[in-house]
Amino acid sequence: MIDHPRPEFLDAETTIALEELVAASGLPRETVVELVEWGVFQPAGEPWTFASRTVVLARRAARLRRAFDLDPAGLALAAALLERIDELEARLRELECQLLR
Amino acid sequence: MKYKDYYAILGVERGASEDEIRKAYRKLARKYHPDVSKEANAEERFKEIGEAYETLKDPEKRAAYDQLGRHRPGEDFRPPPGWESQFGGFGFEDVVDLSDLFAQFGGPRTHGGGRGGARGFAMPGQDYEVTAHVSLADAARGTELAVDVSAPERGPDGILWRVPKTIRVRVPKGATDGQRMRVAAKGGPGIGGGAAGDLYINIRLLPHPLFKVSGHDLYLDLPVTPSEAVLGANVEVPTLAGRVRVQVRPGSRAGQKLRLAGKGLPKPGGGHGDLYCVLQIVTPAALSEREKALYEELGKLSTFDPRGHFG
Repeated sequence: MIDHPRPEFLDAETTIALEELVAASGLPRETVVELVEWGVFQPAGEPWTFASRTVVLARRAARLRRAFDLDPAGLALAAALLERIDELEARLRELECQLLR
Repeated sequence: MKYKDYYAILGVERGASEDEIRKAYRKLARKYHPDVSKEANAEERFKEIGEAYETLKDPEKRAAYDQLGRHRPGEDFRPPPGWESQFGGFGFEDVVDLSDLFAQFGGPRTHGGGRGGARGFAMPGQDYEVTAHVSLADAARGTELAVDVSAPERGPDGILWRVPKTIRVRVPKGATDGQRMRVAAKGGPGIGGGAAGDLYINIRLLPHPLFKVSGHDLYLDLPVTPSEAVLGANVEVPTLAGRVRVQVRPGSRAGQKLRLAGKGLPKPGGGHGDLYCVLQIVTPAALSEREKALYEELGKLSTFDPRGHFG
């Protein structure tokens, strides 16, 4: 059998270094640092490591930054609101699961 | 090469000012950006809009684009004579997608007909992002995906091609709806010694006829008869790992959840989610004479008043 590549899960359990987050997102290093200051990305340890799912958030931030020409403060606000929507949608899904068809 | 009408995509006249182009882009970006839009075709539309704007906002690219002349969208066309030498050193006839052509503008290139202008510059390869639809059963036991991408590839002589490629990926068990995964170095190849891009996969679960999914938990509507709900019953329910029996307690109400611990989807780090059976009390569509008579007798006999709290 051919050995196909196995993807890594981008989740809360595995961690990555700051440099990897910068490389994977395409965001400038100082923007990543600023977004950590804004609390958008939360380091999982010192020196900074991050849950690998942060890559998903950072890539989304990079897309928004590019499309809307956002500065870090605007980006932080947009990211926080989108994350709030993610949480609400997850909660909505959970409740919908409990509705009888 | 297929023509794309960048002006029509942005909804502006060909003579539109930079300001008008920017305003049109902003409106469309707000409407179609896939991270904020709920439009069905947002991703596809935004790609076009972004591509159109990237080209038209840059005076040099816009001039080059205008020189291609006017064609119908999707029409195969050739550039006018001299276009190539005026605007770039790459082989126009070898570029399959208009976006690849303009993506090279402003990047490293040589004027004067020399191909392979990107030599000497290291550029990382493009990341691919794909959505893969997976059945619940496949997600639970792990599966193999065949991911189709259209890969821009540069030959040894520097010419850019788009090559349809299938990337096979072994997805371990543990994925659920919305799970993001990354396959390192399976994106586009780097240029001039740059690292290859990565492949990002967004897993979406296909709807299952019985189970609903929330994270790694599953939900199952469990229909019971009125008498089963009143008297209690031992009933058989399906799970991903085969049938199990559950006890419905006497006096159960509709909407109550019975939790079957560990019968949900496997988690990547080990362990499983739970399966919740949501009780549904169903009534028969048709009754026999005897059943009807018994229900009538029960109705007369029963002192139970479910609306007592109305006062």
